[in-house]
Amino acid sequence: MKVLDGKVCVVTGAEYALGAGLAAGLTDAGAAVALLGDVSALTPVVADLEATAARVAAVECRFDSRESIESAFSVIPDALGSAANGVVHAWMPATAYEPMDLVAVDDARWNSVWEGALNATRYVLQSSFSVLSNRTDDSNGGRIVVITPTVALSGAAGLVPYTTAVEGMRLMAKSAARQWGPNGITVNCLAPAPEQVPIGVASMAVSLAPPALGGPGDVVVDLAPIVAFLLSDAAHGLTGATLCADGGVWMAP
Amino acid sequence: MTDNRLAGRTAIITGAGQGVGEGIARALARDGARVVIAARRSETGEPVAEAIRANGGEAMCIVTDVTNRESMAECVNKTVAKFGGLEIMVHNAFRGGRPHRLEELDDELWQQNSRTAVWGSYYSAVLAFPYLSVAGDRGRLIFITSPAGVEGSANLPAYGSVKAAQRAMAKSLAREWGPLGITVNCVAPVAETPALTSAFSQNPALKSLIEDRTSLRRIGDPEHDIGAVASFLAGDEASYVSGQTLVCDGGSFLGL
Repeated sequence: MKVLDGKVCVVTGAEYALGAGLAAGLTDAGAAVALLGDVSALTPVVADLEATAARVAAVECRFDSRESIESAFSVIPDALGSAANGVVHAWMPATAYEPMDLVAVDDARWNSVWEGALNATRYVLQSSFSVLSNRTDDSNGGRIVVITPTVALSGAAGLVPYTTAVEGMRLMAKSAARQWGPNGITVNCLAPAPEQVPIGVASMAVSLAPPALGGPGDVVVDLAPIVAFLLSDAAHGLTGATLCADGGVWMAP
Repeated sequence: MTDNRLAGRTAIITGAGQGVGEGIARALARDGARVVIAARRSETGEPVAEAIRANGGEAMCIVTDVTNRESMAECVNKTVAKFGGLEIMVHNAFRGGRPHRLEELDDELWQQNSRTAVWGSYYSAVLAFPYLSVAGDRGRLIFITSPAGVEGSANLPAYGSVKAAQRAMAKSLAREWGPLGITVNCVAPVAETPALTSAFSQNPALKSLIEDRTSLRRIGDPEHDIGAVASFLAGDEASYVSGQTLVCDGGSFLGL
């Protein structure tokens, strides 16, 4: 019996290596996985997962539209046999990954990164709540995991818009945890090392300490099992937490 | 704080027409800074400036909409034209503290939170930067955030999110502008403000609830408790403090 057998999980942001690796790890853990986003970009990821006999579907959606995200959630039962009971939100606007000094950032870029990331997170959380709070089975509540790299905890030069957005996402998740606990929904964050996202920052650039475990880890081997636990029934007593899975760099508090 | 320790420095404080912003403006003026009361309405900003002048301080009110780049640029430009520079930028203005459920958070309420707290911080930073960089190791950028930006909020999820965003912005800017000597910090207060007084009138038990979980058993005074900390960060004594959030809540949140 695998930890996520019988679970249907949504993953956003699988267009990038981190989201794709988490999706692969969740299928390894037994979940059926719906990848939400730009289907043309997700097609190679789906093909790789299907080659391992995973149950996976790509569902088109735009992250600037609550209606589009709600629509994507609504087709998952037909695609994978059941509504989602777990959600992993790893999506960020592509502009967020472009380092730039703040004084060079114009209003359009700020809007793209900040409003783009926070609106997407709000809409994904709201759509998740709608599905998870209306489940009628005995799946022991719903699980949401938001991906918030540790670089937003440490701060980094050249990444003001990105880190601002990620911390906004992390605290939106914390508040969701406080509000939705009575609904049996847990909301947690996973904070991987900055090397796991395409921002050009290494852990050592924002910390004096080397990774205790030697490096940022492998997404499928090291990070996905942590996310699988957070999505599992066993994690029903854990909410509002941020698990730093960066190889042992960030150890505060 | 020592009288006149901020003499010769100019500060803009947004949202200074009342509450925490007014308290900070009064504290900075008391310590010798020239202060600009950047307020959305002259009806609130002018009396604060007048009161500071009546106490021997130097102050002027500039009607400012922190959600609008042109309005913020005009505030900075008028400040520099009047006082010859800008060493201290304090972004405090906020609108959108209406309790809500996250699943029901609509665009209008989100935009109030986002535009005042986060866009206002962005405009404060980029528009003050040319002058803060000239000020060098006297350059100060201070954001007024909240313990909710650390703990999250069961009543105000949008507020917790935007206040956390300000903290992250301060950390990254501290690293980005540190080589120039500029410090960037946050103050996270709990203070007796018109907004809190209104909340107490709607929920009389709230005051004792907050006081009971506060080590010092009282709610902060905007000028003497919160303003004093902002003034510390604005001065030379804090020139080696950057990227930090000072939680000024009387010892309630102790989680850092």
